[in-house]
Amino acid sequence: MIKILLQLTLMVVLFLACWLGLRQINWVKIFHIEEIKTSTEERLGEIFWEMFSSGEYVLKDSTVVDPIDSIITHVCEHNSINKSKIRLHIIRNGEINAFTLPDNHLVVYTGLIKACDNETQLTGVICHEFAHMEKHHIMRRLRNEIGLSVLTSITSGGHGGQATRKALKVLTSTAYDRKMEIEADLTAVDFLIRSEIDPEAYANLMLKLSDNSSNLPDQVYWVSTHPDSKERAKKITDYIKGKEIIKSRILNEETWIKLKEHIEN
Amino acid sequence: MDMEHLERNLSKSDSFAYIPLEYEREKASNSYLMSVVALIAALPLPIINLIATLVFYFSNRKSTYFVRWHCTQALLSQLSLLPVNSIGFWWTVSIILSSETITSNYIAYLITLIILNVVEFIATIYSAIQTRKGYHIHWWFYGDLTNLICKA
Repeated sequence: MIKILLQLTLMVVLFLACWLGLRQINWVKIFHIEEIKTSTEERLGEIFWEMFSSGEYVLKDSTVVDPIDSIITHVCEHNSINKSKIRLHIIRNGEINAFTLPDNHLVVYTGLIKACDNETQLTGVICHEFAHMEKHHIMRRLRNEIGLSVLTSITSGGHGGQATRKALKVLTSTAYDRKMEIEADLTAVDFLIRSEIDPEAYANLMLKLSDNSSNLPDQVYWVSTHPDSKERAKKITDYIKGKEIIKSRILNEETWIKLKEHIEN
Repeated sequence: MDMEHLERNLSKSDSFAYIPLEYEREKASNSYLMSVVALIAALPLPIINLIATLVFYFSNRKSTYFVRWHCTQALLSQLSLLPVNSIGFWWTVSIILSSETITSNYIAYLITLIILNVVEFIATIYSAIQTRKGYHIHWWFYGDLTNLICKA
């Protein structure tokens, strides 16, 4: 019996020694894990953006792009986010929508800009999408909803357009799961506070759009794909209670008005 | 020729109580092959091997000592692999489905697991072949444990 126990102990020790010994080697570097993950996401981002943009009108007018770019620059600087990795695309579309694609493609519809009363509300939505990027929700979501094997075949060109279109539809027209949405909301609030932007404006936008959605169901897309907006607005309001918030502006009034007018026209 | 053959068999089966018959050798050999069933079926679940070996063990509980002994040894080796393989399996699932990332710790564990499973696989195939020939294969640790559990 003692012999058996000693043998068992030796086996366990050998196993642990092997594992702990191998742990000392930097396998992530040897197998280029980070490079593979990055290149997969880059490839997916390229494929999705190519497919999406082929059917949409992408605005390159500086009157529209520059203000949004200023907002992004301000948020990135105050939150140590690498701005150069963000690819901003403004799409001429009446839907109130914004979403992210793999490899940090941020897509904002003009309908959303139109629906925002002020830049603070728009900044809130942008911060929400940034939160999805920073928390790596996009790839996680794609893995969960589409599957790893399909994603791999999309990047290798093996699956054809159908799987890609399905994946694109998931990213552009449905919300993340409840846990990820809440995480994105609260992270967005942190981004806003650090950027000295009033996070309550973001909560107000959600309430406003959810109130209007019964009258304008086709247009209030962002809210209809993000259910429980009232509950989320309340969560944000509760989260910011007691926090020190500095309220400032990124764009001046003139720039914001010019942007809105340009969108309207 | 027959006498030589009988003497050789007797000396090789010295470590066991008796010389097993043909059908016993076949059954004992199959008990080891059960543990590679999942591999053959290309299934990643660590429990399939164990279930197959367990079913075979129960179906041969009333069989001869040679068969029962080797069924027990095969089962014990699968039982010990189950926890380590399960940890590897669920760790992999958590990386795929949640925010867990691939780390050097994870890769080191996988390599250790692969080494363990390869060693066990080689030992299993060797035991299946040798048992089929009538040799009694007594594994380090598992053989002693089987002696404790399985009585003639």
